[in-house]
Amino acid sequence: MVQTVAWITSLVFMLLITFIFLCVAMKSTEKRDYEPIKKKWYKARTFYGVTLVVFMLIITIYTLRELPYDQPVYGKGEDPTIVDVEALQFGWELSQSEFKVGEAIEFHVTSQDVNHGFGLYDEEMNIIAQTQAMPEYTNVVYLTFTEPGTYEVLCLEYCGLAHHAMTYQITVTN
Amino acid sequence: MVHNRLIKNYLVIGGIVILLMMVFGILMLLAQGGGLSLSPPTFYQFMTIHGTGMIGAAALAASAVMWYFLSQHVTLSKRIFKANLILFLIGLVLVIIGVFSFDYASAWTFLYPLPTLSAKAWGIIGALLYLFGMLIIGIGFLLLFIDTGRAIIRKKGSLAKGLGWDVIAGKKAEKDAPEPAIIAGTMVTIVNVTALIAGATVIMMNIIHTINPAFTFDPLLAKNLTYAFGHVFANSIIYMSVIVVYELLAKYTNRSWKANKVFLIAWSMSTIFTLMIYTHHMLMDSVMPKWMLIIGQVFSYANGLPVLIVTAYGTLMIVYKSGIKWDMSSGLAFLSMFGWTVGVVPAIIDATIVVNHVMHNTKWVPGHFHMYMGLGAVVMIFAFMYYLAKVDGGLKITKLDWIAFFSYIVTMAAVSVQFLVSGALSTPRRWATHTPEWMGPALFGGIAGVFLVIATTLFIVHFVRYVCNET
Repeated sequence: MVQTVAWITSLVFMLLITFIFLCVAMKSTEKRDYEPIKKKWYKARTFYGVTLVVFMLIITIYTLRELPYDQPVYGKGEDPTIVDVEALQFGWELSQSEFKVGEAIEFHVTSQDVNHGFGLYDEEMNIIAQTQAMPEYTNVVYLTFTEPGTYEVLCLEYCGLAHHAMTYQITVTN
Repeated sequence: MVHNRLIKNYLVIGGIVILLMMVFGILMLLAQGGGLSLSPPTFYQFMTIHGTGMIGAAALAASAVMWYFLSQHVTLSKRIFKANLILFLIGLVLVIIGVFSFDYASAWTFLYPLPTLSAKAWGIIGALLYLFGMLIIGIGFLLLFIDTGRAIIRKKGSLAKGLGWDVIAGKKAEKDAPEPAIIAGTMVTIVNVTALIAGATVIMMNIIHTINPAFTFDPLLAKNLTYAFGHVFANSIIYMSVIVVYELLAKYTNRSWKANKVFLIAWSMSTIFTLMIYTHHMLMDSVMPKWMLIIGQVFSYANGLPVLIVTAYGTLMIVYKSGIKWDMSSGLAFLSMFGWTVGVVPAIIDATIVVNHVMHNTKWVPGHFHMYMGLGAVVMIFAFMYYLAKVDGGLKITKLDWIAFFSYIVTMAAVSVQFLVSGALSTPRRWATHTPEWMGPALFGGIAGVFLVIATTLFIVHFVRYVCNET
């Protein structure tokens, strides 16, 4: 799950940074001449900087290979189900709310009034996809459900005083 | 000195408003955690004032930090500095009246057309009071940054020279590079003049729309302008405040921290990237040009490099085996760099498009910026307060200050991490109510927040004691 990977990756790097700052703080009261320190650690910085840039480049290329904006390649005769989604203060209107596992779906999301956020949650209440619902524009979410169950749509962009009440249920069957 | 008195006023007002905004934050967390009953309208009013007040007050105090150090190198206008404070207070009063007397609650992001289309929750007067309040505050800051730009150009010849581009190009020796305060001042001038013009534009269009709903404008353009303003302006707080870290750690370690070519390139990169990366707030708007969204990810990553390779690394190097004498100001300065660095991590993770697809507008986002602001930018401001109280007022620190220092670290970290945990659990941000499975971290954060407020109160009390002693 993406959320778990994000959390563990963040935790590892945050703990590493904490460890480094603590080590330096503990060594801070010793006194040494600055010039040799600068010479040594400027050299180390070149290696650290290059490593960091290469690491970020690899992650960038890896994570940009597949983007949620790209329409999937559908097989011959496999037409996606187009679902028109309209948000309005404070509810959702979907042209269809029952789907099959394995069915390719395109949610075409817009808003009648203000900005809303179309957030799709699975049965464990984890987000599986989202997009913004904007007036005058249509954003698209491409999705194929892999598990049957009851899914929920929650509003993920603050839209007024009943923002938290803006939910809708979707049923997915085998 | 008049300008010292003004700086104190900036810091006292900024510090007290930050403290009050923390209280609203705790009330919201306790309500989400089920420990307090708040009606949704009240929750969203608190949310609006919390965001607006925190960004405004932190920017006000940070601008005082920048003004203090920048005015040692260039001639700034005291009148404009004073005018900014007056305009801030006028704007703040309008915002408070709009929110609490006229029920205005659009969040500080006021995404068009929400200020007007509130489902009749608030009226035109509330919206206009808030929007005019924001506009007046923005005009004050715009005047201030036009003045810093004017002063830098007068001293250095151009903003490019303020960023040391002549040194980067090899036309000048490294030893003649501008001082860090001038470099940071130039960067902040460029990004904030741009941001404030974008902000003023979208606020004025919202005002016209509120008065005459027949006047409409493009919601996607409005969103771009809003984030171009909000992201850049909020981001600039840390770039104004970090000057105190350069100045203090160099003094405390008795080691020089002067600009070299790498330092100058890093600040130029920050200038460009800070202006470009606001699109990472719009990664879930697939109608945006795809290249702009990819830029949002790529340059958000790149924007981490100057701090990770230059400023944070420089902090570690200057402190390492320096024989530094730790006190509250040096301790807070060092802590703030830790907070900035550690806050970069969840920010970069969330700027990754495939991650943003499942974490955008969850509590992960406030998790990142509470860490970055609460352990970074605001701590720099506190470091400056302790520094002034010491060098200008000779005020001694007590055991209580140290207790506050360590309590602040633990509680601010707790508040930030509970947001991150909530985000990983897909808890939506800006929700007045929580399901039982979302409540635990919020309640924990609310309780930690109570102690955070106590620690912050002790910081502010120390500074107020110095101000009172002086007067």
